Amino acid sequence: MSEHDHDHGHDHPHNAPPNPYHNSERSEARNAELTERVAKLEALLTEKGLVDQGALDKLVDIYENDLGPMNGAKVVARAWTDPAFKQRLLENATAAIAELGFGGLQGEHMVVVENTPDVHNVVVCTLCSCYPWPVLGLPPTWYKDAAYRSRVVIDPRGVLADFGTEIDDEVEMRVWDSSAEIRYLVLPERPAGTEGMSEDQLAELVERDAMIGVTKVRAP
Amino acid sequence: MTTDRLTRPDIAEMNGTYALPRKSGELVFHAEWERRAFALAVSLAEQGEFEWSAFQQQLIKAVAEAERDDPLNPTRGYYESWLVALEAVLAEKRMLADRTA
Repeated sequence: MSEHDHDHGHDHPHNAPPNPYHNSERSEARNAELTERVAKLEALLTEKGLVDQGALDKLVDIYENDLGPMNGAKVVARAWTDPAFKQRLLENATAAIAELGFGGLQGEHMVVVENTPDVHNVVVCTLCSCYPWPVLGLPPTWYKDAAYRSRVVIDPRGVLADFGTEIDDEVEMRVWDSSAEIRYLVLPERPAGTEGMSEDQLAELVERDAMIGVTKVRAP
Repeated sequence: MTTDRLTRPDIAEMNGTYALPRKSGELVFHAEWERRAFALAVSLAEQGEFEWSAFQQQLIKAVAEAERDDPLNPTRGYYESWLVALEAVLAEKRMLADRTA
């Protein structure tokens, strides 16, 4: 099942390049099997009163829609426009992020690492998928892939190149391995040409991938 | 724009993640069961049925197990390991004990 051969000659109609780190595809039969296994588990837990259908739906909705990269983008935009906040963010990210009202399960111990003209940071979780949910939402599929998790440590420049991000040789690359104890968030560089923009406008520019460190924020 | 692409069924319902946009609106689940498995674990942890860290340890173990032979070709996908971890925590806490015994 994992030896599935993808069509690498596939022509991508979208402006985003193909995801270089994708899961191997699952067969329909396997998917049906897993669907049933989860449904059984859910039914059992429901019967025991441990979970509630409506609550589950609501929870997924919150994680998919409310806890999104927009929270992280607001943190970044605030740091770009408020030097005192940026200082607090770099000193104690958890507390500074809580000032904006973000925190909770999986996001408690935050460390923000700043990109500069000399240093580019990128975040990974080599063991599983530790990720700052409250500020970035749920991790993208590639973040959980073995390919990304193992390769970014060995060849960060190469991985970033796959994402279309070129990092000059003089720039130091730092790879941060998230854990159950520490979640990293990259503070990207504010792009040139955005001097007149408001905090809200800036937040619009900040994409999730830039806060993981695989891309840079571009001016509009 | 990203949203437009995701709402197109030919893209959103594709097998695998091949041409999915990598921007902030990217799909995070490939199938509905992944979404349900995610919700079950988080919901139980939020209610205090088990510690999140206990689940996480199981997840780390399950992921490592799947990647032991060939890290780049795990024997099961991420949410399959997630499900294995969830079942392990539930077994550990004997939360399903009287049903499965």
